[in-house]
Amino acid sequence: MKTLTAALAATTMLSGAAFADGHQLSGELRIISDMSNPAPRAVMEGLVEDFGELHPDLDIELTVVDREAWKTQIRNALTANAPDLVNWYAANRMRPYVDAGLFMDVSDLWAEPEFEALASTKGAMTIDDAQWGVPYTYYQWGVYYREDIFDELGLEEPETWEQELANCQAILDSGRKCYTIGTKFLWTAGGWFDYINARTNGYDFHMELARGEVPWTDERVRQTFSNWRELIDMGAYIDDHQNYSWQEALPFMVNGEATSYLMGNFAVAAMRDGGLSDEQLDFYQFPIIAPDVERAEDAPTDTFHIPANASNPEAAKEFLRYVTSAEVQTRINAGDALGQLPVNAGSSVDDDEFLQQGFQMLSNDAPGGIMQFFDRDLDAEMASIGMEGLQEFMVFPDNLEDILARLEDARQRIYE
Amino acid sequence: MFPTPIQSRPQPAQIAYKTLLPVALILWLLPLIAVAAFSIRPEGDFVSGNYWGIPTSFDLIPNYSKVFFESDMPRYLLNSVLITVPTVIGAVALSAMTGFALGIYRFKGNLLIFFMFIAGNFVPFQILMVPVRDLTVDAGLYDTKTGLVLFHIAFQTGFCTLFMRNFIRALPYPLIEAARVEGVAEWRIFWYVVLPLMKPALAALSVLIFTFIWNDYFWAVVLTQGPDSQPVTAGITAFNSQFRAAYHLMSAGSIVAALPPVLMFFLMQRHFIAGLTLGAVK
Repeated sequence: MKTLTAALAATTMLSGAAFADGHQLSGELRIISDMSNPAPRAVMEGLVEDFGELHPDLDIELTVVDREAWKTQIRNALTANAPDLVNWYAANRMRPYVDAGLFMDVSDLWAEPEFEALASTKGAMTIDDAQWGVPYTYYQWGVYYREDIFDELGLEEPETWEQELANCQAILDSGRKCYTIGTKFLWTAGGWFDYINARTNGYDFHMELARGEVPWTDERVRQTFSNWRELIDMGAYIDDHQNYSWQEALPFMVNGEATSYLMGNFAVAAMRDGGLSDEQLDFYQFPIIAPDVERAEDAPTDTFHIPANASNPEAAKEFLRYVTSAEVQTRINAGDALGQLPVNAGSSVDDDEFLQQGFQMLSNDAPGGIMQFFDRDLDAEMASIGMEGLQEFMVFPDNLEDILARLEDARQRIYE
Repeated sequence: MFPTPIQSRPQPAQIAYKTLLPVALILWLLPLIAVAAFSIRPEGDFVSGNYWGIPTSFDLIPNYSKVFFESDMPRYLLNSVLITVPTVIGAVALSAMTGFALGIYRFKGNLLIFFMFIAGNFVPFQILMVPVRDLTVDAGLYDTKTGLVLFHIAFQTGFCTLFMRNFIRALPYPLIEAARVEGVAEWRIFWYVVLPLMKPALAALSVLIFTFIWNDYFWAVVLTQGPDSQPVTAGITAFNSQFRAAYHLMSAGSIVAALPPVLMFFLMQRHFIAGLTLGAVK
């Protein structure tokens, strides 16, 4: 009996302490961030400073590691001497750490009413019906095009696949290429597949394929490739694209030899550096292929997670609440900070033509869902074999049967 | 035996030589020239495909000041110094001693030990990547400068020992015998007789090892991560941002990173050439 009361007393004391923590956070909060480039780094340091001012008793220790190096370091960091917060990516990229029990389940946060504003990425943060982190930024993909060349040829932004093909024919007839692309590092081809597949067969089918639940030899996948092939057979893409990185393919667009680029919003900064003005440059959503399919968009999302072994999860959760709030997301995604899109629907977006269009598109015109991109939605090994196949298809479309058989082999091996 | 000097060759041969030499030189140096030219271009030139034309602006000062003041470059350079200098001292000191032991003393297994030092040079070092990485992780030396230094010393000592042992072998043995007759202790023979005679070899080897280690990329990438411990060769890629490669800054950074070995070569040119031809003259 005595022990029982003692235990009871201890529990009440504990819960009392926990309650107090909720108001007055203390102890140490260790953060490892991969926001290593100058502007993102300043954002991260600013976040820590401001959060520290809100919670003066909290001792925050921030370590910024190189973004590329972090991709190999994270497993080490999560197992040995885990910090309280880490940066990572949404969707399948977090699966290895969720499956290994290294990320903390934060579904309780997502159950709070404030998190309804983040609904657009909830699917991407969900594995096994639980949420494992929160998003802080994303950016849209879409077709960036030379408005001045479209005007010169009398073309409109296409809304359907037929219009897209007609536009492309007009561009080809004027002696230009329709699309620039550099597939040397493969991933750019993944963007084209994501869009054509999601527009042909829908978001749900695309995700089933990404999760390895549908064979690559499925008739619907073939339909995607046959749609894609229409463009390839027209000669819509620049020649020898397998020799260029995405950056090395930019001059074709900047110099007007090609008119469009299916790319993420980060391309805009580069194009502006290359001398294109906002009058010459514009953006449209990837056109509709199958009329009854709801549009889904690629919007790779960067996230914060709490490691399962974190020593101060209470403070870490408070930080997640802080970083997802509309006001903070507005600030960190502004043009002079990350220059990307806030995920919180209540945030406001920087006064930039492309960010405005992107925010509008992702918040209102993507009822199908948000894809994370080929190499984030698919298993890592499957994605790398898959992207090799996509590149090969773009160069030698006649090899399709061979490629599909190879991808199907890989799928059966990897997902079994 | 020797080729005829150019001056005494026939006129056409002289002319052909004098015109072809600059052409060959430019061809040979083209990659370096490209890097130097890229390092003064603005970023926009790379986006608009203006790789070889006239730069739209001359950005020598902005590019290089970014390298020095807005990046981790100074830190990486310091790391390189802190890795290279201890390695040079360690490897040269150790190999002077092993070279002395193997070159002067006749004992059983002398040749076997010597061959083991040499054999290390025949192992392609890429094979060692995984075991060495595991070893440093287990020893708690992963991602530290100490780990990299220790590994470099261990690995370079093989080659240095070969060099030193052969050099000491070539010294006149009577010098050492004379010292022994005088009753000089062995360590004093090493310190006062052999070491002063080895000065050219020490200098040559130091310069050589300095350039080897400074230019090492492989082990820097395998054994270290991040600005706390990585040398400049591995740190140059830090100029790449999340989405874009900053070719102009990487070029400027490469030029800066390449300067110390080049300076070293010009300052120590005498020793460098002496070291390379030491064996040949004999």
